[in-house]
Amino acid sequence: MKLELYNRMAMNRRTWLKGTAAVSVAGVAGSLGAMTTTANAQDNLRAQILQIPGVGKGSPTDADWQKVGEMCLAATKTNVKEGEFKGVELTFMGLNNQNLHNLLFRGFLKPWETYTGAKINWIDLAQADYNARLQQSIATGTVDFDIIEMGAPFEGDVCGKGLASEMPDWVKTQIEMDDYVGYLKAPVGTWGGKTYRISIDGDCHTFNYRTDYFADADLAAAWKAEGHEGDFAVPKTWQKVQEVTKFLKGKKVGGQDAYGYLDPIKGWGGFGFYFLGSRATAYAKHPDDKAWLFDVDTMKPRVNNPAWVRAIQDVIDALPSEPADQLNADPGTTGFQQFLAGTGSMLSWWGDIGSNAKTSDSSVVGDVTGFSILPGSDDVYNAGTGAWDKLASGPNYAPNMAYIGWGVYVMARVDADPVKQKAAWSAAAHLGGKDLSLWCSAYPSGFQPYRQSHFDIKEWVTAGYDEAFITSYLNSEADSYNHPNAAIEPRIPGIFQYYSAAEDELSKIWAGGSTAQEGADKIAAAWEKITDGIGRDKQVELYKASIG
Amino acid sequence: MQKAHTVTSGQHIEISAPLISLARQRAGRGLIIAATLGLAVIILVQSLYAAGTITTGFANWRPVLYAYVLWAVALGAGQVMVRGEAGHRALFLLPALLFTIVMVIFPTFFGIYIAFTDWNLSAFDPPKLNGLDNLRTLVNDAYFWNALLNMVYYILGVLVQYTVAFGLALLLNADIRARKFFRVAFLLPFMLSPVAVSWMIGKSLMEFRFGPIATLMRHIGWESPAFFTTPWIARLSIIALDAWVWIPFIMILLLAGLQALPREVQEAAKVDGATPWQSFWQITFPLMLPVSVTAIILRIIFQLKLADIVINTTSGGPGGATDTVSSFVYREYRERSNVGYGTMIAEVYLILIIIFISLLLRFVSRWMQRENNT
Amino acid sequence: MTQPSDGSQQFKYVGSRVLIYGALLLWAFVCLFPIYWTISTSFKTAVNVTQGDIIPWVGRFQPDWKGWRSLGLSPDTIGQISTVRDEFLLRFRNSVLVSVGAALLAVIIGSLAAYGLSRFQYRFGPWRNKDISFFFLSQLILPPVVLAMPFLVLYKELALLDSIIGLILIYTLTVLPIVIWIMRDQFDTIPNELEQAALVDGCTVWGAFFRIILPIALPGMVAAFILAVVLCWNEYFFAALLTSTNAKTLPVMVASQTGSQGISWWSMAALSTAAVMPLVLIGIFLERFIVKGLTAGAVK
Repeated sequence: MKLELYNRMAMNRRTWLKGTAAVSVAGVAGSLGAMTTTANAQDNLRAQILQIPGVGKGSPTDADWQKVGEMCLAATKTNVKEGEFKGVELTFMGLNNQNLHNLLFRGFLKPWETYTGAKINWIDLAQADYNARLQQSIATGTVDFDIIEMGAPFEGDVCGKGLASEMPDWVKTQIEMDDYVGYLKAPVGTWGGKTYRISIDGDCHTFNYRTDYFADADLAAAWKAEGHEGDFAVPKTWQKVQEVTKFLKGKKVGGQDAYGYLDPIKGWGGFGFYFLGSRATAYAKHPDDKAWLFDVDTMKPRVNNPAWVRAIQDVIDALPSEPADQLNADPGTTGFQQFLAGTGSMLSWWGDIGSNAKTSDSSVVGDVTGFSILPGSDDVYNAGTGAWDKLASGPNYAPNMAYIGWGVYVMARVDADPVKQKAAWSAAAHLGGKDLSLWCSAYPSGFQPYRQSHFDIKEWVTAGYDEAFITSYLNSEADSYNHPNAAIEPRIPGIFQYYSAAEDELSKIWAGGSTAQEGADKIAAAWEKITDGIGRDKQVELYKASIG
Repeated sequence: MQKAHTVTSGQHIEISAPLISLARQRAGRGLIIAATLGLAVIILVQSLYAAGTITTGFANWRPVLYAYVLWAVALGAGQVMVRGEAGHRALFLLPALLFTIVMVIFPTFFGIYIAFTDWNLSAFDPPKLNGLDNLRTLVNDAYFWNALLNMVYYILGVLVQYTVAFGLALLLNADIRARKFFRVAFLLPFMLSPVAVSWMIGKSLMEFRFGPIATLMRHIGWESPAFFTTPWIARLSIIALDAWVWIPFIMILLLAGLQALPREVQEAAKVDGATPWQSFWQITFPLMLPVSVTAIILRIIFQLKLADIVINTTSGGPGGATDTVSSFVYREYRERSNVGYGTMIAEVYLILIIIFISLLLRFVSRWMQRENNT
Repeated sequence: MTQPSDGSQQFKYVGSRVLIYGALLLWAFVCLFPIYWTISTSFKTAVNVTQGDIIPWVGRFQPDWKGWRSLGLSPDTIGQISTVRDEFLLRFRNSVLVSVGAALLAVIIGSLAAYGLSRFQYRFGPWRNKDISFFFLSQLILPPVVLAMPFLVLYKELALLDSIIGLILIYTLTVLPIVIWIMRDQFDTIPNELEQAALVDGCTVWGAFFRIILPIALPGMVAAFILAVVLCWNEYFFAALLTSTNAKTLPVMVASQTGSQGISWWSMAALSTAAVMPLVLIGIFLERFIVKGLTAGAVK
């Protein structure tokens, strides 16, 4: 979920000229199909694709996507003969959010189609329709697509029901799966030991803050004067986040009203629940326990345990100190219309905010935004003992791996026809290729870095990025992905049903309709009902399988 | 003078039908019976094939649709042959009737079946009937009752829309310059898609920080113009958005009605020395009642389905204050894949609406008859 | 004595004129400003959106083709190959076919039914005209979401998924009630002496309908047709549910402009503008038919 990291980046003219030269060379080399795969050529290729169209040179167009697709075709050519899939037709279902996702895939796959002779038909969906469309297709047996772009939370619905095709070994080699960041490796993407997913994206919430707030001498003085403990600094724990948020109420920064943390209060089709999750994981995810949302053996919800209720209460307590329209602010509003436009000083979000902070036209916080992993907590709830533990290592951190990113999956209905099966996997593997994905993480695509090899800061700097900024940004992502206590979302069927039901109850809590505990109990009751509706035994089984 | 926009009864033509020969009647009946049998056989064959009892059949049910069309044609022809003039008359109604029936017969029954199941799309077991469970859940579902109460407010909003629309229609009907421009301008909001309206207006024009309307409100003196955070203001904002889209619709119907009014009546009133206010209440308004009723009822029916704007702009919040039954069903159905329960809500809602509308129609027709008598 | 009276008369007249035009202008502004806002937003960049700039070429707001470029419809991209524009044009074509097709079908069978209901007494078992009318009307009442599952299953069995015909059929169903309602009002206001005379002259019922009634009711049918086109054009729910690659229409594309990265205001505004243009043109050029059509039934 990344956007326009590259836009408006300062880049001197000489680098740019070098870049264009490289592109023209690459174009020739690519079209001849004579790319060698020595380490050196590989590096060159990566440098070359990063120059299409060039950082700061405006949004890439269809022609650019096709060029990148063409240049990254080498891996396909080693596994597929020219014209091998002649006459094969495949249907690809994905999103076309903001004219990204599917539109890029079209460009990337065009040279693949030309080379292999296959033809791809496209189903574009709006994100709001995605879940409903997928579920209805599955339930009524109208699965009309061979390849699907899908988030990991839906794996339970698709892979758990045996609708996906198992990944052949040659694909694993072609896409170099070892390169994935820690949390995307198995068990994510696998069910019952079988691998299904080609990752094309990584997702987690990170903590974005305003450096100017925390360097403000007046605020620091006021902080001392009001008798707060410690220096006025970027909060490392949610306890501090709360304290700072309340402290900032009524203060001014640079002549404008100061605000602390921004909670998205309005529902977002289930996605809003991730933001409560980000507040709760540090309380609820104990290092000794993989589970944090449900009990593993019974699927008993933990959402009404003291850890979650504390997170909900935190929001209630913070709300009076947040901006006046917060009740109707969904995550899009808090991210793009508040934080980036200069309102508020702390925010949990996916990587988009970081990339937009520096590059988006609407952002006024480009030079004053810092990144870190989500705040921790001084104490963490132990669901086993029912006690709040203080860890010897200090505060408990548990980055929220919200949504686990997009992947490409092949549907089982192609398995009957070996040629079609190979074609579908080859197309999917092309999109999940190592080099192609570098380009996607550097340019507007809708996807974030998700491979170890994406975190080579040298490559980004050579491509034209500001070193200090990109280091801070990439580190916050890498540290979250590789965190040993990362809270990984349960990949069980119908997970968005749980989120959606929770949003309804939360909406009442925020509007003052019930207390944190009452509301949380209602959420738990609704969740129990959903679990029963879907089938408890099966859910428990799949939950265990997904945890690994 | 014609005053005939009556809702419940039209004028009816009665003419005697010429005699039809017995042979023709027999042939007509034969045609209908043969066609019906043919259709029945095809349905039977395809059902058995679908159930796996027999091995020959069609790949899908499309041929059954064709058979239905043929049957419908035969039925029409048969009607004419058997009943002559009366058959000709039936032919006017039959296409629409048969079309509607074939389109809704399966969805209706299948929908009722679904409403009594525990169908959740993510579930592993196939849906099974669960008796009155869904109904019981519904009765205890605070979200449903809350949404239903909101619908009452939204319906009352229609009356406001009607008042404004009437005013606009009167203005457009007055002797004004640039009438064409104003008419087109007033009509345009109706053309925008609800998705675009909720984003471009609800989330952009009325945005708290940069929206021009919020800016305007700040100038007027409302310090924090948050349109969607307190229950009543949020509800009113939704009503206003919705009114913006639908007022043109009512306005057109009313304007057409106004233009059909005989000029002489109003002229006469003027001569009698009635003030415009009097002539409006004593002449225009009563004459416009039938059109008004049509417009209001159509509008209420559309209003009862209000969903898009609410879903996009407020998601039913804050705390359910703007939730509509439809937007609640959407959440239950689409986000939670709770098909069985979602359908039950909608079916119950449908029954409530049908009762409400029939009562309304009855009330209105009685009332209009009295108006006619005076 | 006449002097002061004239003066106050004059004053009253001017006052009422001012009031009338004031109200007219105010409402025209209310109607047009959001549309202006949409169109102008399609020429904005992010900063103009978040700062709420209103007037182009003033200060920050220098019109930019960004939104239109993303559709492949800006001057610099119009000559290039663009998959987005192809997509837009395909959907545009489908939207035209579907809404015109459905509106046409609905007006044809709806007008016939409306005429029948207006002129004749039907009896189907216990059902009389009133009940039949209500049956049609009740089709308008059901929230479409309930029909989702049944129609998905039905269309799958009939092999109508993702077909333009399938979409036309369901849209016809949704606009048919309103067409019948409007047309019945129309026919009710046409005096039946007209057909009586024709029937006496030896016309059949159908002959009288086509030769006498149809020409009179034609403007009304045009009005009903336009209303039906507008309603079909913006239909989103069934379009999202029942189509995938062949029959997809525009509203789904408009909704796609929102998503996890906030919203591309400029693209959405450009798309909304492009999508609403045909309807605006209809509004401008055919507006008189709508009102006239709805009025026409009342001729003496």
